[in-house]
Amino acid sequence: MIRRAAVVKMVVVAAIAALIATLVAVLIDWLPDSASEEMDRITFVYWFATIICIGIFALVVAVIVEAVWAFRVQPDDDTDGPPIHGHTGLEVAWTVVPAILVIAIGVVSAVVLSKNADAGSNPLTIKVFAQQFAWRFDYAGGVQSDELVMPVHRSVRFEMDSPDVIHSLWIPEMGQKQDVVPGTVQKIVITPTRTGRFRLICTELCGLGHSTMRAPVRVLEQPAFDKWLEKQSSARGGSAGGGSAGGGGAQVGKKTFASAGCGGCHAFEPAGTDAEIGPSLDNLAADAEKAGKPLPDYIRESIVNPNAYVVPSYKSGVMPTTFGETLKPEELDGLVVFLSGKGAE
Amino acid sequence: MTSTVDEHGQHETAYGHPGPPRRRGLLMRPGWIRALWVTALFFFIGMYIVVTIRWIAGWDPVYEWEYIVLVAGMVAAPIGFLTGIGTFDYWLYWISGRPTVPDDHANHGAYKWTDYFKVNTDHKVIGIQYLVTTFFFFLVGGFLAMLFRAELAQPGMQFFDTQTFNGLVSAHATLMIFVFVIPAFAGLANFAVPLMLGAPDMAFPRLNALSFWMLPIAGVMFAASFLAPGGAFATGWTSYAPLASEQPFGQVFFNMGVQWAGASSIATALNFLVTIITMRAPGMTFWRMPLLVWANFTTSLLVVIATPFIAGSQFFVMFDRVMHTSFFTPDNGGYVLGYQHIFWFYSHPAVYIMILPGFGIISEIISVMSRKPIFGYRLMAISLLGILVLGFSVWAHHMFVAGMADWLRVPMMISTLLIAVPTGVKVFSWLATLWEGKIHLNTPMLFALGFVSMFVIGGLSGIYLAAVPIDIHASDTYFIVAHIHYVLFGGSVFTIFAGIYYWFPKMTGRMYNERLGKLHFWLTFVAFNVTFFPMHWVGLVGMPRRVADYAGTFGALNMVVSIASFALGASVAIFAYNIITSWVRGPVAGSNPWRAMTIEWQVSSPPPVFNFDEIPQVVGGPYEYGVPGAKHAVLRGGALQEAHV
Repeated sequence: MIRRAAVVKMVVVAAIAALIATLVAVLIDWLPDSASEEMDRITFVYWFATIICIGIFALVVAVIVEAVWAFRVQPDDDTDGPPIHGHTGLEVAWTVVPAILVIAIGVVSAVVLSKNADAGSNPLTIKVFAQQFAWRFDYAGGVQSDELVMPVHRSVRFEMDSPDVIHSLWIPEMGQKQDVVPGTVQKIVITPTRTGRFRLICTELCGLGHSTMRAPVRVLEQPAFDKWLEKQSSARGGSAGGGSAGGGGAQVGKKTFASAGCGGCHAFEPAGTDAEIGPSLDNLAADAEKAGKPLPDYIRESIVNPNAYVVPSYKSGVMPTTFGETLKPEELDGLVVFLSGKGAE
Repeated sequence: MTSTVDEHGQHETAYGHPGPPRRRGLLMRPGWIRALWVTALFFFIGMYIVVTIRWIAGWDPVYEWEYIVLVAGMVAAPIGFLTGIGTFDYWLYWISGRPTVPDDHANHGAYKWTDYFKVNTDHKVIGIQYLVTTFFFFLVGGFLAMLFRAELAQPGMQFFDTQTFNGLVSAHATLMIFVFVIPAFAGLANFAVPLMLGAPDMAFPRLNALSFWMLPIAGVMFAASFLAPGGAFATGWTSYAPLASEQPFGQVFFNMGVQWAGASSIATALNFLVTIITMRAPGMTFWRMPLLVWANFTTSLLVVIATPFIAGSQFFVMFDRVMHTSFFTPDNGGYVLGYQHIFWFYSHPAVYIMILPGFGIISEIISVMSRKPIFGYRLMAISLLGILVLGFSVWAHHMFVAGMADWLRVPMMISTLLIAVPTGVKVFSWLATLWEGKIHLNTPMLFALGFVSMFVIGGLSGIYLAAVPIDIHASDTYFIVAHIHYVLFGGSVFTIFAGIYYWFPKMTGRMYNERLGKLHFWLTFVAFNVTFFPMHWVGLVGMPRRVADYAGTFGALNMVVSIASFALGASVAIFAYNIITSWVRGPVAGSNPWRAMTIEWQVSSPPPVFNFDEIPQVVGGPYEYGVPGAKHAVLRGGALQEAHV
């Protein structure tokens, strides 16, 4: 009987399809090497779903392949198939079984979701400030950094804000992702499990420089992290003290150039940046001449009100107009000194 | 019955003696020449409204081009175009109390190819107008995809700056969604649904014509955004606030284009609803309707309920920009995430708007080509309704990382996962229909089976994305790009191809070339998988979407993807060649080459201008294959008796 033979063949095809799908799932590294507890749990949900999906995929492939194989007819065959209108048992089964499977996935997901949102009893809080097109990380004690540095095996609780548009924080190896929404403080927890260097990526289209809005990430052992934090905070103290004294302005400027993310879009040799989104800042003197303004005034205006004069062949409305509000007066002064090239050495 | 005879008699007389034509001059006759000067006239009226207001208010400059283009170019001129081309003629005559030409359907039927460029109230002509227009925008959207795939073939920047790249990506998605997939289904349904119902036309033929003519306005507006200073809209087709209200002027072309496409969509959906509810032939109960009709019924409900939300969201974003309101800006009490809630309240149901009609097409084809009744007909129809209801309760699954209220995540995840149940019912029922059938593996059937297998892959990656923890990792990466192309290309586009091949003999009276059709399928199927399957991997391991530049480790795979995408583009050329040459000189197809039971196959190919000489009497289900002596409908007078053996 055609029916029984076809079912047997179908089971064989299903087994082969399941085997191939399993090999594809196992032999290729579909996820990055996990570097956080949260990613470990995400990986677990991923495999839970994968096992169910392989089963369904194999079933569907087997039915299609076997049906075409066993029941195909020539174009001139004008007979009809058996008038089967349905089968209540089957229809109930393929309504109920998938419902149970997806609810199982839902329960596992809900449990993992609540665990991944739990920062434990002793989290380190890092404030994240994302703006077009740079990241800044604020640590306790006033330390600001454009590199994200975290201690290993300690939950880090991020509190994130943006002054302009929506950005999104993602470190692929650590799984967690969260949009940074202007006007709100968004929270996310990451618990690194291994030291090393990673990359933080903005994953929400945020304008012209979106694809360059990245930041380096370093995970250190707790003692090394403490040392780093201490060094940062003493460096900050030093520059703040020297800020009012003449030569220190350029130092403040250099730091601000990095923390405000200028290098995300602009090339500037003294800062070692080579981005091409906005005009190169190595030609500021010539541009100021074209704009008909003294160099320091031109620099200040271009930071606070960037659309007042736009270098030819660049577009107006691209650079954020919020720097006038977000930079402190001494930072702005420092930038002007740093960019005008005075005391850069 | 007598009334239909009268009606039919009237049509016939009226058609034979179209009422006394008041011959109007070339400039005043509806058509392209009148459209040209009325469009220009309306543009100037719009422009001087803006200029006059600015002059009275003392605003400088008086000629502010952004506002002039917005008011005159995107509102007044399109209305002028619709007026000039003739979509409002009948209504304007009627409103002004002048004698209207009696409803003689003088604008019915197409007798030469130029008739397709005129306002026409025949649903079959409008259906073909829709399909050809949307195919044109499909080519444009595909061309944009080739351009940015060229940029993405290698890491680093080669051809475009980032703003142009973002513009290409955004315009590609927008053209494909709003002026290809959604209206292409409207075109197929326009052609098939009235015939399947046994109706002479849609319920509102003039509204139907208006719906069609609004569509090219939207498409041209999206494409024209590349001419705007600062380039095309570059915020993705999702156009998130507040970025969208700060971008260069091209963004407004998106805000307004969506309004025209949406208006077209809503008008068509209302038309389908009224047609399906009120114009079913005698005996055509809801439980005897073909599943394509069921699918368009549910789709139309989705369109009517959901589309006003995207219209609102785009108006508000635009107001934030041009009138400095604060709907979606963080200052002055605006609600940034509000945009996403409103946008996805349309755009998630829109996903079903883009797939349910495809489900309908596939149900027709699989049943006919397997020579078996569709398995579990009632559950198939009920699962459509299940998707309709659940479809409105899942929108926030696009926002799992967006920062919305935490408690919303789990309920939205559960409802999203549950949508797999009615969708699974449909897939399993198609498979059961195949089983023990007499399978004819021709081009429509190949595309139908290709659809089922690709849609299952897209559906399974959808399970991953529904699970919140995985979604948090995968959202905004290339995994999403892979997923949406498996459901929108492997899903919707495959069903559109299947539907075009299936109804091609009915539309044109000619048969397409089977060998070229199969070649088209296999090239599409292979190139599609090589293009989109690797994207799952690059996304999961760390490549975000919507970036012009990426890490060097993804270079080799992106090169493969780009080359495959060009092959996918080439496959469309085979389709176009096949369709055009077969339309001109393909072999005559006969009225019912597939031996199908639904009513559209019981009339001549192409069908008579008014579809039926006599309204058919429906006597049974639409898929009674293999049931001895079964009939779906009885036609007399002009019906082809040899249609079903």
